[in-house]
Parts: sequence; C-alpha cells; structure tokens
Amino acid sequence: MKDDATTPLSFNRRHMLAGMASLPLLGLAGSRALLAQESVTLRWWDHFQPLIPLHDQLIATYGEAHPGVTVDHQVMNPADMMQSLQLAFRGGEAPDITSVPDSLAVVSQLLQAGRFAPLADTVVLDKPFQQEALFEGMHVVNGQVHTFPTFSFRYHSTSLWFHKAMMEEAGLDPEAGPASWDEIADAARKATTGNRYGLLLPIQFAARMEAHLRDLAQMAGGVGDIDWKTGEYAFASDEFVAALEFLLSFQSDGSLHPASSSLDARQGRVRWAAGEAAMFTDGPWNSGVLLGLDAAVLDGIGVQPNPGRSGSGTVQVAPAPGTFWITAQSQNQADASGILGLMTSDEFYVALAERMDQPPLDLSAVDRANVHPTYKRVIAGYADSVRLAPEPLIRNPDVAKVYAEMRTVSPGLGEIIQGVFAGAVPDIRQALQDYADARTAERDRAIGVAVENGAQVSVEDWVFDNWELGTDFAPSQYSSAG
Amino acid sequence: MSSPVSDASRPQLLKQLWRDRYIYLLLLPTLSLLALYTIWPIMVSIYFSLLDWSGFEAAGRFVGLANYQELFGDRLFWNAFKNTFIFLVLAVPIRVLLALVLAIILNQAIPFARVFRTAIFLPVVTTAAILGVVMRFVLDPTSGPINLALLQSGLLTQPLNFLGQAGLALYTAVGVWVWKWLGITLIYWLAALQTVPNDLYEAAQLDGASAFRQFTHITLPLLTPFTIIITLITVVEATNVFDLLLTLTNGGPFYATEVIDIYVYRQAFASNVPRLGYASAAALFFGVCIIAISAVQMGLIALVRRRTVEAS
Repeated sequence: MKDDATTPLSFNRRHMLAGMASLPLLGLAGSRALLAQESVTLRWWDHFQPLIPLHDQLIATYGEAHPGVTVDHQVMNPADMMQSLQLAFRGGEAPDITSVPDSLAVVSQLLQAGRFAPLADTVVLDKPFQQEALFEGMHVVNGQVHTFPTFSFRYHSTSLWFHKAMMEEAGLDPEAGPASWDEIADAARKATTGNRYGLLLPIQFAARMEAHLRDLAQMAGGVGDIDWKTGEYAFASDEFVAALEFLLSFQSDGSLHPASSSLDARQGRVRWAAGEAAMFTDGPWNSGVLLGLDAAVLDGIGVQPNPGRSGSGTVQVAPAPGTFWITAQSQNQADASGILGLMTSDEFYVALAERMDQPPLDLSAVDRANVHPTYKRVIAGYADSVRLAPEPLIRNPDVAKVYAEMRTVSPGLGEIIQGVFAGAVPDIRQALQDYADARTAERDRAIGVAVENGAQVSVEDWVFDNWELGTDFAPSQYSSAG
Repeated sequence: MSSPVSDASRPQLLKQLWRDRYIYLLLLPTLSLLALYTIWPIMVSIYFSLLDWSGFEAAGRFVGLANYQELFGDRLFWNAFKNTFIFLVLAVPIRVLLALVLAIILNQAIPFARVFRTAIFLPVVTTAAILGVVMRFVLDPTSGPINLALLQSGLLTQPLNFLGQAGLALYTAVGVWVWKWLGITLIYWLAALQTVPNDLYEAAQLDGASAFRQFTHITLPLLTPFTIIITLITVVEATNVFDLLLTLTNGGPFYATEVIDIYVYRQAFASNVPRLGYASAAALFFGVCIIAISAVQMGLIALVRRRTVEAS
C-alpha cells in the first residue's frame, strides 16, 4: 500500500523547494525585526558648542546601557538653527531632541502648534531645586512635563573680564579690577596706548549688546525691561539712558577698540584675549571658552562679576527656560526621554559646571567641580546680584497666546545701541522712548488678537504689585499677586 | 457659439502641435524644471504673502492684503528699498564705466596686460561670502592693511571705520562689490571691443583723428548695444548682493547697508519671531519693481536698436 501521508519530520521534494524559497524571506524578515528591535538612531540638534564633549559622553553612556541606540548629534549656529527647525518641522524631519535658541515667544508658538511631546516618566525631577524650576506654561503643559532647565537662571552676560597685567599697569588691584563706572572708564583711558585699547565691545552682536545694556542699567539700580509694579516697559528710564551714555563714553574718549562695531562676541573675545584691549564684557562662559583657546591666557585674566553695581542694584532674570525638548514627530520618544533623564543627576551637574559654560541648575555643583578660579568667582558674584523676576506666563498660561502673537519690534534695543555707536541715533532718550512705546503698542495688539481668539488675558497680567526690586519672586507669590 | 475661423484653426493648431511634437518633447525637461524651481516657488510666494505665518505652525492664518498694507508703512522696508537703489545707482555705473576704461587700456599692446587681466578677474572666482569675511579683516580700523596704508602714507591721521560708520558702510560695500565683480564686466567689454573693426581706426588715423575722437566717434557708437546689455546684466547682479553683504556687514550698522535681500531674510528667518508671509510680500513687491525696471531697460534697448538700424 502506498502511504501518501508524511510524518512530521519527513520532507518531500516539494517541501524542500518551498523551504529553500522561503529561507531568504525568513532571513530578511528576521533581520528586519532584529534591526527594528536593536538599531535605533536618534537625531539631536542643539546650539551648545562648549558642551559637545559632555553631551557626547551622555550619549555614549546611554548607548552602553542600550546597545543599538545611537545618536546623530549636530551642533548648530544659533542664528541658523531656527531656520533649520522651521524647515524640519514642516518637512516632517524634525530631530528627536532639540534645543530652542530663541525667545519665549517662539517656544510658545511651537508649544501652541503641538510641536513638542511630553517627557516619559523615566525623567526624574524630584529634588526640591528641580521642582522649583518647573512652571506650568513654560515647562509643564496640561500637567505633563515637556522640558526642564539644566542651567540656573542666576547669571547675567555682563561681567567685566580683564587682563590682570594691564590693570596693574593702570594702577588698579589686578585681582579685583575696576568696580564702579568711573573706575572702569579711568582704567580704560589709562590702558589705551598705541595699538592697545581700554575696552572691546561686541557691538555687531545686537542681542549681546542688548543684554549688556539691560544688565548695566539694572546693576545701576534700574528695574529692567518691565517695571513689574506697573507692568510698563522701562526702556526709557534714567538707568537705561545713563548705561547707554556710559557705553558710548568709551567711544568718545578713544578708549574703545575701533573695530568693536564690526566684531561679534567670538571675534571680539579672540582679539581681546590676544591683548588688543584690556577689558571685555562677557558672561560666565568666558572662562570655559578661554580655557579651550589657550589655558595660559586664562591664568592672566581677572573678572569683575558685577561691573558698575550700585549698592542694591540687581539684575532681574526670568525663570530658566527648558533646555531640551522632544519633538512630537519623534518616533523614539522613550529613548529620547532616557537620554534627557541622564541630565538630572548630581554627576551631570558637576560635569556641566566643569565645562564652565552657563552655570548648572544645581549651583552647589560649582563648589564640588574642578573649575578655574575665575569661574568660581564670577558664579559667586551672581549670588548677590541676580534675582528671579516674575513671569506673566506662569500666573496666566493664556499669556503664551500673546507671546505667540507678539512680533519683533524693529529697531530693537540692540540695533538702537548699534545706531548710537554708528552715529545714526543722535537722541538716545527719544530712541529708547520710541522703543518702549513700540513694545507697548505691540503687546496691546497681541493681547487684542489673543482675546479675539478666546484667550482670557489682559495687560494686568504683567502687573505684580507684590514684587520687590532686589528679591527673588517666589513661586508662592504668584497666587497673591495683583 | 464658435466662429467658423476658430473652428477651422483648431485642427490646424493640433496639426502644428503634432508636427512639432519632438520640439515640445525635448523642451519638457527644461519646462518641468522651470515650473518646479521658478514658477511653483513664485506661485507659493504669492499665496504665502497673504498669510500671517511664522513657519512653525502647520498652516498660516489668511490675512488678505494686510502684509502689503503693513509693508507700505514700514520705514525699515523703505530704508532697505532706498539702500538697494542707492547701491544700484552707484555700483552699476561705477562697475560698467571702470571696467570699460580698464578694457580699453588692457586692449592695447601694453606690457603685462594678461597679468593685469588675471589679477582683476581673480576676485570673480572667489566665493562672495568668504570675500565678505576676508574684507572685514582688510578694512579693519586697527590692523587692516587699507587703514595701515592710509595712515602710513599720511593721507589719514585717524583710522577710518569703513564698516562701522553709518554714513560710510554702504559706500564701502559698493566699493567691495565693484572690486569683486569688475573682472567679469571687463571680460564682457574686452569681448565687445573685439567686434570693432580695426580698419575703422586705421582710416580715422589716416584722417588725423585724435585718440579721443576715435573713442567718441568709433568705439562708443559701436559699443552702444553692448553697453545696454552689460548694464542690464549688471543691474540684475546688483540686486543679488545677499551673500556679500550678509557676511560683510549683516545689514548694519543700524540698517545702513540693509538691502532688500537682507530685509527679506531677516523677516523670514533671522527675526525673533519669523514672518514668512510678510517676507514673501516684501520679496514679491520688490520683484515687481525689478520687473518694471527691466521693462524700461528692454524698451531702451529696442529704441537704441531701432535708431541704430535707422542710422545705418
């Protein structure tokens, strides 16, 4: 009898051929599954050039714990990055992780457009200083944490960096350097000899000059951009006018490096470090950048953290914005959260401090870190001079709709400063008044549009009658502000 | 109801299209690329110019002609418009005339003529953006060679801040642009001069005409058609100075060198809150103005050609 039945382990020719034909398919499917499971490449964009080694170390650490996860990390010029993000979001090519090198207005627009995703629970922000840094509307949306700051708010961009030897030649204490406006102007005049000038300002970098003016005006006793007691723009205040006249005086007396008007911060720093000028205004990151340029130069540099600070003058700074965001287009949000979760540890804060860039969220990490004395000095100086300002967005999340609507006012503060130095703006007070009026008008317009679109917001959201100049505005004060 | 003429002409048109099918087929790749990279962007820009859109949202808000209305009241737009036209009015004649003078000199049998031609042409082949960066060093008030030369020769007692003074920066930019592109205009003129028959000069010399009279009565009239074409090309080039000015001055100081290209770029990308719709409106409006200028130039060309034909 012919037995047509085959045993489970027996093969006929047809089975064998079918099996051979399906092998490549099985192999392909198997390798695809394996690849999908194990090989993931995240894309990460940011604008933190000095932090490349630190971030790459984080990526390597995460990769070791998660084999197959790799990161394509690109560091961009802040000026070009927003253009790249614009195109990437529209083309569905947004990176998994990105920083946003722009104002709260742009962040608000991106949030309103649903461009960012919440962080996964793997990001643990349970320390008190981490909790205090998170605000609804800025970092938290509908109760979900979308981002968190890795940097402290407690710094400004206008410390006075100087060559100690040149200060000594000018008859000043080479460690402390000049403190008051008169001392700085005097030191600049004395240090100006031949091809060497007293001060170099990065005038071509409008945003930096804007920060310098804002910081100097506040260290001299000003309230900052907005007088939070009234909610009005204060650009035309005496302190702003005096600070701009003070900056201009260096050009008038010939102690300002003549190339200042065509130099940005990077170019200016290099020429100042090379000895073309005695003093240079910059933020705390100057220590780290100089260390990268030439460590020997840094040893000959001193810093006055708060130049021209009057007794009670403090720089009011907004709460620190989120540093990194996970985009809604990301297909790897869990891994992206996993990487960002590494930025909340004590080790990370110490490592961040050691890059000597913006100070870490945990300022005590600076004491534990191996950093240059100038960095320690400048960060310590900010403890006295930088105070947390109120932020209307935290009190009323609908303010985000106003920020998203507000357009850039031109000429801005930075351009006005450039115009003053270029001789195109003869009346400083009038120019600053015009700017304040234009900002007020633009805010009113944006509020009007936001209200038309259903937002519950008014100019009263910019008024914090319980704010006191020179103090940190505590989170608990938002509920009692009028 | 269609007329008998149109009814009769329709099969003829189809016949013509079928007869020339290979021409259209060969034109198809070019037309496709033109549609994709020129026509489509223009159409999209027209649509964008009617939106209020930062580019971060999925879609903009339709605002009709509001962007154009705002544009007409924006003094920084008109400042950029003015700067662009100052640039055109200064740079185009200087470049065209200077290149003509140099071409006439270098067309003679003078020693090292080829070396001079090469030296003048060299900046043409360098990248404008890089040249902008390099020129910032060259024009530096403390260590730049130009200031050093002026100071050491006694022509100046104080260094000039070529790019830092509002009243000087645009003229400096004109100078740099003319220097960069002078070589290509020189080549155009040298080619044009080759078309002037040498026997005309020989006849004039026999008649005792001076060099000046030879120039005004032979060279200039015969070069007139070339002058218009070269001027037209130079005008178009003078409206595309974005890369050079962005790296040289970034439109500053205080908008002194902000031409339309940089204004549009600033609104679309470099502003704190980008405004793609507004930038598109500015670009389109300026484009229309350039088309109008080109139309005037084309009219002039036609007029000159007619007169040349009548004269001959």
